[in-house]
Amino acid sequence: MAATTTASITINSTDLLTDELSLSTSTTLTGAGISTGITTTGGLGRKTTVSASQYILFDADDYPSGPDMAHKIYLKNTETDAGLYFLITHNSEDIGRLYAGDWAFFPWNNHDGTADIKITPSTSASHTLEYMILTD
Amino acid sequence: MATTTASLTITSADLVGDALSLSSTKELHKAGTTTGLEQTTGMTTLHLTATTQLDIFPVLPATPAGQNKQAWVYICNKATDETFYITVSIAATNIGRLYAGDYLFMPYSQIAQKADIEITPNASAASTGIDVEYTMIHEGLTYPTSGD
Repeated sequence: MAATTTASITINSTDLLTDELSLSTSTTLTGAGISTGITTTGGLGRKTTVSASQYILFDADDYPSGPDMAHKIYLKNTETDAGLYFLITHNSEDIGRLYAGDWAFFPWNNHDGTADIKITPSTSASHTLEYMILTD
Repeated sequence: MATTTASLTITSADLVGDALSLSSTKELHKAGTTTGLEQTTGMTTLHLTATTQLDIFPVLPATPAGQNKQAWVYICNKATDETFYITVSIAATNIGRLYAGDYLFMPYSQIAQKADIEITPNASAASTGIDVEYTMIHEGLTYPTSGD
């Protein structure tokens, strides 16, 4: 059943520029190319890594695939040590690093079986990441 | 040092049996530090009328100044027609589609030459025209020289 799920972002700064930055955007998450709300989530999960190896967080084969999907990925590095990060990779392309406390929200095109979302922790110490997929 | 804060709230009363109410807030810092980011490309609005794939930030050179420094990218599809979308890519990797009203906020490591962020409108969006907003808040970015 279609649900009403809203994702809102604000980006604020009073001193990044001489003009105050105050960005606010809200969207209702819908299926691809339609106005019907998304229907599915994997739920909010946590993963604790214990090596500096690359881990598959979302396996492309585990979700309905194709470019016509509206998958959204939420990630958050729950660590507090500023130097600890997770490198986020889509397929074999590095997207960027999530340092302690950072979060990200982005679409995911699992266009084929290799288009996994992967994470690589910065050290082999215990690192914890929160994650969720929202989809149609 | 500037203080820039990014917050996300995801809510739903009916997606799952338990109401979803997630909030995350974080100051944007330089890589591995607690020092705030100080540079931004500023907010840009484009009106796109072709399906051409575009680099929305300066093309990365062989050794990007911001390589593995921290940068945050915000992109928003401002269309209201739900069939209008843009495809977001890094280099040759198709990250995903932003449908009407959708946005992304993600880190960007500027990891290598040609690992540029690109957007491509779909045909129906391009034929009508589609507005896209984007910005980057970062600690390093290489701009082309006057000879480029």
